[in-house]
Amino acid sequence: MVATTRILVLLLVVVPLMSAVLVPLCGHLARRMALWLALLHLTLTTIVVLTSLPVLNLRAETELSATSPDVHRFRPLFVPGDISGSEGASGRTGWTLMRLSTSVEYPDRGGPNFQFYLGVDGLNIWLVALASLMVIPAILVSWNSVRERPGAYHGWLFLLQGAAIGAFLAFDILLFYVFFELTLIPAFFLIGHWGMGSGRRDAARKFFLYTLAGSLLTLIGVVGVVITNPGPDGAITFSLPDLMANVQLKLNTAQHELLNGRPELLTQLQQTQFWLFLGMMAGFLVKVPVWPFHTWLPAAYGEAPTGVTILLSALLAKLGTFGILRFVLPLTPDAAIQYGLPVLGTLAAFGIVYAALCAYAQSDIKLMIAYSSVSHLGFLVLGLFAFNTEGLSGAVLHMVNHGLSTGGLFAMTVFLTDRYRTTLMSQFGGLMGRYPNFAILTFVLCLASIGLPGLNNFVSEMLMLGGLFDARNPRSPGFGLAVVAAIGILLSAWYILTMLQRIFFNPLREPQAVLPESTDLSGREWLVLGLLAGLCLLLGLLPQPILDSMRWDIHQLATIGHEARIRVAG
Amino acid sequence: MSSPTELALTILALPLLAAILAAIFSCTPFRAAANWPLIGACALAAALALILVGQIASATGSRAVSDAITWFQAGKLQVHFTLTIDPLSAIMLAMITFIATWIALFSTGYMHGDPGFGRYFAIMSLFVFSMCGLVLANNFLLLVAFWEGVGLCSYLLVGYYFEKPSAAAAARKAFLVTRIGDTGFIIGIFLLWKLGGWHTDLTALFDHIQQNRPDEATLTTALLCLFCGAVGKSAQFPLYVWLPDAMEGPTPVSALIHAATMVTAGVYLLARCAPVFAISPVAQCTVAWIGGITALLAAFLALGQYDLKRVLAYSTVSQLGFMFVALGTLGAIHPAFAVTAAIFHLFTHAFFKALLFLAAGSVMHAMGGVIDMRRFGGLRQLLPITHITFLCGAAALAGIPLLSGFWSKDLILEALTEASESASPYTAAYFVLLGVALLTAFATAFYTFRAYFLTFWGEQKVPDEAGHHAHESPRIMTIPLLILAIGAVFVGIVAEPFTHWFSNFLGETPSLQQAAVMAHSPVPEHHFNWSIALLSSLLALGGVGIAYALYRKGGPEELPGGVAPIFALSRNKLYIEDAYEAAIVEPVTGLAGLARVCDGLLDAITRLVSSLPRFVGQWLRPMQNGLVQFYALSMTLGLVVFVAFVMFRVAR
Repeated sequence: MVATTRILVLLLVVVPLMSAVLVPLCGHLARRMALWLALLHLTLTTIVVLTSLPVLNLRAETELSATSPDVHRFRPLFVPGDISGSEGASGRTGWTLMRLSTSVEYPDRGGPNFQFYLGVDGLNIWLVALASLMVIPAILVSWNSVRERPGAYHGWLFLLQGAAIGAFLAFDILLFYVFFELTLIPAFFLIGHWGMGSGRRDAARKFFLYTLAGSLLTLIGVVGVVITNPGPDGAITFSLPDLMANVQLKLNTAQHELLNGRPELLTQLQQTQFWLFLGMMAGFLVKVPVWPFHTWLPAAYGEAPTGVTILLSALLAKLGTFGILRFVLPLTPDAAIQYGLPVLGTLAAFGIVYAALCAYAQSDIKLMIAYSSVSHLGFLVLGLFAFNTEGLSGAVLHMVNHGLSTGGLFAMTVFLTDRYRTTLMSQFGGLMGRYPNFAILTFVLCLASIGLPGLNNFVSEMLMLGGLFDARNPRSPGFGLAVVAAIGILLSAWYILTMLQRIFFNPLREPQAVLPESTDLSGREWLVLGLLAGLCLLLGLLPQPILDSMRWDIHQLATIGHEARIRVAG
Repeated sequence: MSSPTELALTILALPLLAAILAAIFSCTPFRAAANWPLIGACALAAALALILVGQIASATGSRAVSDAITWFQAGKLQVHFTLTIDPLSAIMLAMITFIATWIALFSTGYMHGDPGFGRYFAIMSLFVFSMCGLVLANNFLLLVAFWEGVGLCSYLLVGYYFEKPSAAAAARKAFLVTRIGDTGFIIGIFLLWKLGGWHTDLTALFDHIQQNRPDEATLTTALLCLFCGAVGKSAQFPLYVWLPDAMEGPTPVSALIHAATMVTAGVYLLARCAPVFAISPVAQCTVAWIGGITALLAAFLALGQYDLKRVLAYSTVSQLGFMFVALGTLGAIHPAFAVTAAIFHLFTHAFFKALLFLAAGSVMHAMGGVIDMRRFGGLRQLLPITHITFLCGAAALAGIPLLSGFWSKDLILEALTEASESASPYTAAYFVLLGVALLTAFATAFYTFRAYFLTFWGEQKVPDEAGHHAHESPRIMTIPLLILAIGAVFVGIVAEPFTHWFSNFLGETPSLQQAAVMAHSPVPEHHFNWSIALLSSLLALGGVGIAYALYRKGGPEELPGGVAPIFALSRNKLYIEDAYEAAIVEPVTGLAGLARVCDGLLDAITRLVSSLPRFVGQWLRPMQNGLVQFYALSMTLGLVVFVAFVMFRVAR
């Protein structure tokens, strides 16, 4: 059972990568082939999720009550190539891709190993599920609109999916980085080649260079973390669980020194952490994006074919927040407490309001949703840096929720572009009478996006707000940030309802249709919008299974945060 | 099916089922039958709610809290699905389902033949479900869920005639203005969550605060934030502006949502949170003042309106203000008395205001959708049943002695009198508010009967839209009118003044007892204050009398010289909405435009930074000119500089 699941976890990455090669070879069958492969992947993911859930829940139930260990580290499940044989669960892999150096002192152990270290835990399982799922709307909305070289288009889509899933599953920091950067290439070609407007090449170039510039700084940060945190025996490692342990051991020693009247070590460690934090955050800030590093986003989201925009907003943006969650918080916890809320939190809070205002001022629906995404993700960053159980749980849940609702909103615009070739708000009016079914599903997605209770975003937003109110970070304006975040929810209602008023209410007004007879939702559109709207409702009513499954992992992170808070407060 | 919890769950489930059925019906050929699920569900729920009231009344002081089912929880934030059944929620439940039954029946006739018939009843059912959930919820975030749920239904129903731009704008306005209050509400909830031992369940939270009395300033902040929610939902000053516009929805919607139930949610919220409000005199006084200001302001705004429904809307705002005034006294006097006064007024108001709206709907139905009182008049003979029932409602609203509005208004005035004689630090404020309330009562009687005379007296005048066959509404609409008229006349006298049934029943609510313990209130003694009753009766009759003198001939309105400008001011809403437009809406819209421009600038800066390498490259490019002499020269020069530097450094 365990061995089979390990293979499945490996397949979660391998299948999209293989599909990326396979689909372009299928010629005119590419679209159908892509859909089948995506469904196959979704099946695999479902099996993995269903297998891991009981294990994760059991772990939360049995181990959280036990005494707390000295160091808190992630413990991936179902690691392909686990060193403890077919049924054991050491959570470590033996699959080494590259040995970077051979140490003279320890010839048998060798240098740091760059490993193909994948695994499942409570933090990534739902994001993998999201990545697996969202490709299906992406393929379906591109069904008619992408006519040029559909094989290559879908191939790039799968590469994007594979890279994102690889990054979510990676537990080797270098492997994560490789997958993280790999997403740029397919995104670049998809925007530049299949984009919708005249500015697509420019948008693609801007997206590529901007995010690359950020992530090169992240690479420096990553290397810095690896070098400055060798194990007690001096061994350098890329493995995230080991790095976490090393970081905490060092901090514990420093804390011990501090109690003995020698604060220098702790100060020095915290200073180092600051630079590493800054370096690692650079790439993630651009990727999320946090104000003022968001200027690539409107162009990229607006110009990309909508299928790709769905993936960009649902997956790639989450890579940034996931990077913060997985690497920045556990590896530089003190800096995250010291500078997270006060500095980045302030930027994010400003960005929430700023992007909401920008969203209101847009005349194009797609751009409005793009800015609303910036606004929502600012909230997510706040939730992450609250660095406590409520905030972190809310943030992880919000990554999934935001992916569904924003992805759904972008999918909604395809309905209009397929019929009218435009998403300018001023062109539409009174569509409620013309397309009642479309109106209902759009309303559900829009209401989810403005945080209506009973739909998904409400739950995660409330958890993040709770996290901010509970935040006891020294020097942090947690309360003020929470108020700004709450105002952000209000503003989101403002621009979304204005959009709804313009296009669904008032007397009927529509531009010249492409087809002679445009009808309400087609079967394909029902599937896309109905699926996403249904999931928004489901996760709004029953979010607890997701929260339960991540409890253990969140607890580890929250404890790290708690200890850092004590150290920083002195 | 016997325990209170099971009854409550059944009552809650019925309208939800109706909503699903109506939604299914509206997609099938059974569209014309989409009204029956709602009518059936409401009737059954009303019957069950009456049984529930009986059960609770027989087992005094009982409070049933349903088992908690986790909705979501992480860390200290634990949110449960749990319901409280106590006298307060039971009486609300009975009122909501009873009124909803008759309004559903009325809607059947009113909405007959409308293309959105199925949609209408589906949303109405969803509304009744959310409203029942709202009064039953025992968890703050669950309460918010239903609170937003009723807001959503209100939004959808105000915008029901979606092709009308005014309806579309009104729907958005209703949602957004209440959302402003809700933002404060949520912040307040989280502040209370922090103060109340990380509980979100109301009962647990209040118990915790009772045991560990928090710092008063912090608590007051939290309560005022909480009150923001009530201000938004119950259309109090300064967030009342959405309610008059919300009259764009179908009239039965105005009757149910914007008069009888949803807008009273804020009053209910404060009554429910009485234990915490009881220990913060500042919060109480603020509530009372907001209520008082609203009551008077809205009464003034109602004076000059020509739109019959708008008169009623402003009157609703004003009456809600009355309820808040009563709630504002809840720490100064015994909380049970203050809450009884507010909830009793809520209860009677639901009857007579729903009746007035339905009667106005009946007028509108006959007049072909026209509601401007200048365009019709003298409808006494044409619409006899509507006329009689409207008169009953108007008399009750005006506070004519012995009708239900009289008794409930009297209770509020008594509460104010007692508060002004209490040990509260703000007795003077309560005394001033008593004056405000009396003045409002006078204005209420006047504008109500102004509307009545303009509509039903004088020469018969019918607009062209009505066609030649303007006639009384069908029986399915007049029966609800008659039932509610009986309620408007008698429900007050039956429930309270002689038996004190209502106050005894409501006074048993455990949370009110708890509030009394927390505020150290003295035990109240019921005594009928003859002088106050007499004064308010005289004012009411005086208001009616002046209206009779001015309007008994019906329209057009002829005003004595000095009064006309005042009425014009009232008609222009005191320019408050224009002020909002200029002070809030336009600046924010401008800010949005500015943000968009700034974003362009930010992008330009980014581009500038990114083009820096290219400029540097262009600047350096000439040096790579391929001339060996140039390279040799620069090598030599470089060497000279280097050697000179070394020599000076070393030789120094």
